[in-house]
Amino acid sequence: MGELQAKGFWYSEWAFPLFVACLASGIFAGTHLYYVYHVGAFNDIAIVAMLEAGIKGGGYGAAAAFGASFLFARILEGPLVGILDIGGSLQTGIGIGVPALMLGAGFTAPLTSFPLALATGALLGFIIGTVIILIRKYTINASNSTFGADVMMGAGNAAGRYLGPLIIISAIMASIPVGLGATVGAAIFYYYNKPIAGGAIIGAMLLGAIFPIPTQ
Amino acid sequence: MVTLMIVLKSIVIGALVGFGVGAGAARMFHAPNVQGMGAFRTFGELNACAGDPISHFSFGLGFLFNAWASVVGAGALTQDVDHRVIPNWAAALLLWRNKNVAETLHNPKQMAIAGAAVGVVVVTVLNSTATAIPESMQLVATKVLVPAANWLINPIMPIVFWMAAMDAGKRTGIWGTVLGGLSHLVMGNAVPGIVLGILIGKGLDDSGWNKITKSMFIAVILLFVFSGFFRGFDVALLKSMYVEIPQWLIELHETFGSVVKK
Repeated sequence: MGELQAKGFWYSEWAFPLFVACLASGIFAGTHLYYVYHVGAFNDIAIVAMLEAGIKGGGYGAAAAFGASFLFARILEGPLVGILDIGGSLQTGIGIGVPALMLGAGFTAPLTSFPLALATGALLGFIIGTVIILIRKYTINASNSTFGADVMMGAGNAAGRYLGPLIIISAIMASIPVGLGATVGAAIFYYYNKPIAGGAIIGAMLLGAIFPIPTQ
Repeated sequence: MVTLMIVLKSIVIGALVGFGVGAGAARMFHAPNVQGMGAFRTFGELNACAGDPISHFSFGLGFLFNAWASVVGAGALTQDVDHRVIPNWAAALLLWRNKNVAETLHNPKQMAIAGAAVGVVVVTVLNSTATAIPESMQLVATKVLVPAANWLINPIMPIVFWMAAMDAGKRTGIWGTVLGGLSHLVMGNAVPGIVLGILIGKGLDDSGWNKITKSMFIAVILLFVFSGFFRGFDVALLKSMYVEIPQWLIELHETFGSVVKK
């Protein structure tokens, strides 16, 4: 996968906590938006619903436990595999778990104030990023093994190729016009040497707009 | 007034999130030598679009409709904004002018800047437009793209990673199989476990049981024990073996805020 000896600020270890801080700050502030205006939380409906249950007076236990467990698991896993899963760690952990812990304990200020929300998220993100880099220092970086990076990269690339056919099959199961659209779109993209996932989506969308999928 | 506040705050949030997501996604292509952030699914999907701007754009567009429906209905943006829309649109934006992925998609600086720009637009539009989008488009997103993406995550990615682990040698095959199966039980997906199996197996192949592989092994055990506990796997295991759940275990779960159902 290209230049493995990539150097400089953007590839450095110590830049990582800064990137995590940026992302966590935005995600925590997104939860602030949700708390104040009921819009903008960076998570799926089912997970946001757990926080909502707490806001409505049903207790923050579920959201806190769920978020904290994901955060913990991802912080341990992240440095080992080289990819921090932002869904579990930041969106669920920082965006749902930590706010639920704070609200459960009676701290509302980090969620009602926008600047404070940005600062809280940034601080938490920076701590998480630093912990991950520290764990890395004592595992991956202290060895001359690549720990199968090539194997994982190969699998990542191979898995991606399945997406196009999966979209076509899914479209065919949704409705006949949408299925035809996806099939033709994918075939056209294949002819022009483009990844068929894109053609399948455009074809499905076009015919789906003309002949909507029955809702029943 | 409220809409204006939402727009102004969304611009700040979108820029921060987009910047982090962009840089993290580009760094994934250099993992594990460089610590990246995103997700294995994001990585696989970015690879599926193979550096073609139209594919990256249309993949992101599908999930934008999905996020839109969700934010209009429930105020939740869905995880797809960070996992799919921002990284794929940032990639599309960069690849439009330069098809060389090493200088665009794999470059954290370029992706961070493009991600911030995309984030500002996407987050602001999603948060400020409470009016519905065409329902037919939402339906295509939820009925076509969501199942396809779910199939990719399970079972396709576990199978592909599993076979890669087994093809890489006896040791990675065994570790990948054991940790993959446990990971699917405890965490709900085998991919993290198989990846950890490849790490430990290859680490042992290259350097044997030394300080580093031992500490990794302990970290992996801790990972499984803690995520098992916090996801209630211990209770589910006892239940499915028809064993009475001891009172101290119920109380232990209660101290961490989770309620054990009898």
